[in-house]
Amino acid sequence: MTPLIYSTLIISLGIGTTLTFASTHWYLAWMGIEINTLAIIPLMTQSHSPRATEATTKYFFAQATASATLLFAATSNAFFTGSWDILQTNNPLTYTLMTLALAMKIGLAPLHSWMPEVMQGLTLLTGLILSTWQKLAPFCLIYQIQPHSPNLFMALGLLSIVAGGWGGFNQVQLRKILAYSSIAHLGWMVLILSFSPPLTLVAFSTYLMMTFSLFYSFMMTKTTHINSLSTSWAKIPTLTALTPLILLSLGGLPPLTGFLPKWMILQELTKQDLALVAVLAALFSLFSLYFYLRLSYTMTLTMPPNNPAGTLPWRLNPSHNTLPP
Amino acid sequence: MTPTHFAFSSAFMLGLAGLAFHRTHFLSALLCLEGLMLSLFIALSLWTLQFNTMNSASLPMILLAFSACEAGAGLALLVATTRTHSNSRLQSLNLLQC
Repeated sequence: MTPLIYSTLIISLGIGTTLTFASTHWYLAWMGIEINTLAIIPLMTQSHSPRATEATTKYFFAQATASATLLFAATSNAFFTGSWDILQTNNPLTYTLMTLALAMKIGLAPLHSWMPEVMQGLTLLTGLILSTWQKLAPFCLIYQIQPHSPNLFMALGLLSIVAGGWGGFNQVQLRKILAYSSIAHLGWMVLILSFSPPLTLVAFSTYLMMTFSLFYSFMMTKTTHINSLSTSWAKIPTLTALTPLILLSLGGLPPLTGFLPKWMILQELTKQDLALVAVLAALFSLFSLYFYLRLSYTMTLTMPPNNPAGTLPWRLNPSHNTLPP
Repeated sequence: MTPTHFAFSSAFMLGLAGLAFHRTHFLSALLCLEGLMLSLFIALSLWTLQFNTMNSASLPMILLAFSACEAGAGLALLVATTRTHSNSRLQSLNLLQC
């Protein structure tokens, strides 16, 4: 791609998000989101491979549907209340529809099924833009919607934590694992949104930093599969020592940074008398921790071509005689 | 809910159902997307008559511009899909399964 077109698309991405951030009118916010969608589509189909085209098609459909539903909800709200102001979305029907549209935009469960497949078909750099920058504009709008009851956000958040953890269980492709981790983290953010919006921002900023670091370390070693991850220790040994820290931080283990948002969110949930929700969220993020641990295990603690499952302790009384007589 | 509101809401819901349940052809999904945008265009065009304001009179034009861009992008993706997958049926988009 020529530098002129490339820079036009990158600047358009910046303009779209800035437009949504700066707007108080629903229409301008929708325009910023549309500009973002339209600008990233050529970036996704850059390589013209079948996988890239398929990923772009699925992304386009998901985002176009969500954008149209968002504008419909804003128009309905304007017909009901007479105001296009973002902070004045009072009608329950319209803010439910807006929340669902924005949830589809960022990939919250149960509207998350496009996310792993789209992430799988992209290069790591485009996947990075997709999972960090493209979440900013819809998240800004989610932050500003003032719901009367926290039920919808809690349901979306809890479902996303479950779907993000459970879905990533059997994956060996790193981009799909990153997609599921993104779904789970967004679930944590949305869970606490109606109780304490600053905690959502804390969770979002830590998620941005951690995901950026993980994507960048995969870009430096050019790995997209657990197999190539296990042989990447020789490329940059320092990175092999540091990536488990990033992975464990994503999993939310103290004393790493990723523990901070989870701790504060659990504390806030218990203060709001929602201890069961807090327990469920913490238990289901153990699933995500499992696949982060598997990544760090195959990257750092094993040296291929040894089969990691085959490095079991010696058995002194073997059950079969494997040596020929 | 005024009759105008009900009319464009039901048009939108029909188009959304068509987009959500599209089965075979890529192009039918794009047509439903255009139907969604058309219902929103009608809604915004009737805004001025309904509320007797000239405040947001230019909104339908801007919506038309954006929906045309989106339709163009969708058609370009249709062509790209036909080039790489040899047809534009949605069942052939199965390379990225989990």
